[in-house]
Amino acid sequence: MQRNQVRCLILACGNTLREDDGVGPWLGQWVEENCVTDNGVRVLIRQQWTPELAEEISQAASVLFLDCSVESPPGAVRLAAVEPAKPAPGLATHHLGAQELLALAQELYGSIPANSLLLTIGAGSTELGESFSESVTAALPGACDLLKSTISQMVSKPV
Amino acid sequence: MSQTITIDPVTRLEGHGKITIQLNDQGEVANANFHVTQVRGFERFAQGRPFYEMPSLMARICGICPVSHLVASAKACEAIMSVRIPHTAAQLRRMLNLAQMVQSHALSFFYLSSPDLLLGMESDPKTRHIFGVVGAKPELGRAGIALRRFGQHIIELLGNKRIHPGWVVPGGVTEPLASAKRDEILAMLPEAYASIKLALAWYKQIADTFRPEIEVFANFPSLYMGLINEDESVEFTDGALRLIDAKGAIVADDITANQFTEVIGEAVEPYSFTKFAYYKPLGYPEGSYRVGPLARLNIVKSMGTPLADAELKEFKQLATGPVQSSFYYHHARLIDILHGIEKIELILSDPLILDKHVRATAGVNRLEGAGQAEAPRGTLHHHYKVDENGLITWANLVIATGQNNNAMNKGVLQAAKHYVKDGKFTEGILNRVEAVVRTFDPCLSCSTHAFGQMPLALSLVSADGEVVDQLIR
Repeated sequence: MQRNQVRCLILACGNTLREDDGVGPWLGQWVEENCVTDNGVRVLIRQQWTPELAEEISQAASVLFLDCSVESPPGAVRLAAVEPAKPAPGLATHHLGAQELLALAQELYGSIPANSLLLTIGAGSTELGESFSESVTAALPGACDLLKSTISQMVSKPV
Repeated sequence: MSQTITIDPVTRLEGHGKITIQLNDQGEVANANFHVTQVRGFERFAQGRPFYEMPSLMARICGICPVSHLVASAKACEAIMSVRIPHTAAQLRRMLNLAQMVQSHALSFFYLSSPDLLLGMESDPKTRHIFGVVGAKPELGRAGIALRRFGQHIIELLGNKRIHPGWVVPGGVTEPLASAKRDEILAMLPEAYASIKLALAWYKQIADTFRPEIEVFANFPSLYMGLINEDESVEFTDGALRLIDAKGAIVADDITANQFTEVIGEAVEPYSFTKFAYYKPLGYPEGSYRVGPLARLNIVKSMGTPLADAELKEFKQLATGPVQSSFYYHHARLIDILHGIEKIELILSDPLILDKHVRATAGVNRLEGAGQAEAPRGTLHHHYKVDENGLITWANLVIATGQNNNAMNKGVLQAAKHYVKDGKFTEGILNRVEAVVRTFDPCLSCSTHAFGQMPLALSLVSADGEVVDQLIR
C-alpha cells in the first residue's frame, strides 16, 4: 500500500510481557484479524512510539493511537482527540507520546492528519506476565466495538 | 575541602551510568570515574541452555544492537557445529549487520549527540534534545529519522522483526531473500544516500568550531583494534582482527575468534559493573585499546566502497598516523554509515543474493566455539563451551563498550581536569564531561557482564530505615 493512500493509520504501542501494557498490541492485532485493512487502513504495532513514525503520521489522512493508560481506572475505555504537544523538557528518544509524535510530524514534515484520536484502556496491572487483568479482559469486547466503529468512521471521511 | 561531583545519570546514551569527579582540598580534579551501574548476568543464566538457543537469547542483551549479538553468537555456535555457512547466508547476514550499524549510528549521531553539536554544549538542557534539533534544523532531524528508518526497515524485511529478529540461526538464516524485498531495499537507497551526505556536509562545516573539545575529549595515544579483510579494507562480519599502536604500527594481526582470549584479557575495577579489556602482552592498564568507528578507520587502508573511500582519505588527513581524539568518533561514525549504505547496494547486486540455499545443518562436533563481529560500537566476541549434549556449560562475552572502558575513564578524567578549576563548574562543563562518553556511543546494557566475583554490598534495612545487618564482598 502506498503511504499516501493511508486513510487510517493505526499505531499500537505496548509491551506484551507486562500484562495490561500489552493491550495496545493486542488491539492492533485484533484490527488486523477482524477489520478490513485493504481499504486504506495500515496497522503498525510497536513496543514504543519512536520518532521514525512521524513521517508515516504526516502522510496519513487520520491516525488512531492504541495504548493502555496508567491514569485511567482499570478497565476504563477512553477515546479522545489528540492535539500536537508543545516541546517539553525531559523528552525521551526511546518513547514519545501521541501528542509529541504529532508535534514532530508537524515540525518535520509540515503535515498532520485531519483527525487524530487516542484509544486507551485503563491498566489494572503491569507486572511481568502475558495475560490481562480481569478488568481489562472485561473491557475488551466494548473496546473492540468502539475500535471497529471508529475505524469505520475514519475510513469513510473524505480525504 | 575535598569534594565529589556526581553526574547521575549520564544522559543521552544507552543504559545506566554515572560519573564521579573527585576534587582535592585545593579544588583541583584528583580523579574521575565512569561507573556502569547496572548488571545483567547473561553469561550466567545461559548456562544449561542448548547452544542453538544462544543467538536468540543473547540478542535480548540489547534492543539497539541485537543483530551484532545474533551474528557473533551464531558464529560461535557454527564453530561448535564445525560448519561453514552458505555464501548467500553470509551475504544476507552481512547486510543485516550493516543495516543495524546504519540505524544504530544514526541514533547515536542524530538523536544523542547532535543536540550538543548543533545547539552547543552550553545550550539550555530544556531544549538540548532531538526536538531542539528538529526546531533549529529540521532537515537534520529528517535525515536522522530517514537513516534510522532505512536500517530498521531492512532489518524488518530480512528478519520479520525490527528488534530481536529470529532470522539468524546457527548454520545460516531461516529463509532466503525474496525479490520483492530486494527491490524494496533498493528503492530506499536514494533517500539514505541523500541523508548521510547532508549529515557529512553539515558535520564538516561545524567540526572546527569544536576545536577546544577535540583537544581534550579522550585525546591521547592508544592501541586500536578492529576486523579487517585480507586486502586491508574494513570488515564488519568476517575477516580477522588487527591491533595497531598509537603510531599505526601493527602490534598483532590475523587474530581469529579462537585466538581472541589468547591475546585479550579482562580486568575488573571495584567502581563499575563493566569489565576492562586489555592486550595481554602489555598487561593492564597499559594494554588498553579502543574499538569502534574511530579504531576501524585508523586500522584500515580502505573502506572498499568508493564514496566512503573518498571520505576515509579526507579523514586520515586529520592527523599524521592514527587520529587520536575521540571527538572524531562522530566523523568516523558518519563514514561508517556511508559505507554501510554502499555495501548494502553492492550486496544486493550479488547474483546469488536470492539463492535458496541459506542454511547448513549439523550437531555438536566440538565442545567449544567462539565468534566475533564488528558491532556499531566495536568488536564483539562470544565464546561458549558445551557438554556432549550441546548444553552451555560456560559463556563469556567481550563487548565493545568494555573494550573502550579504560579509554572512556581516561577521557572523563582528561576533560574533568581541563574544565573543572578551583572547584568551580557549570552545567555546560558537566555536559562536556558527559559528551566525552557520548563520543564512544557506549551500550552499557550490553557491556555489564560478570567476571569472577563482583564487588557487592548487601544491606538489610528495617521498616524504620535502620541498617540491621550488612554483608560486603
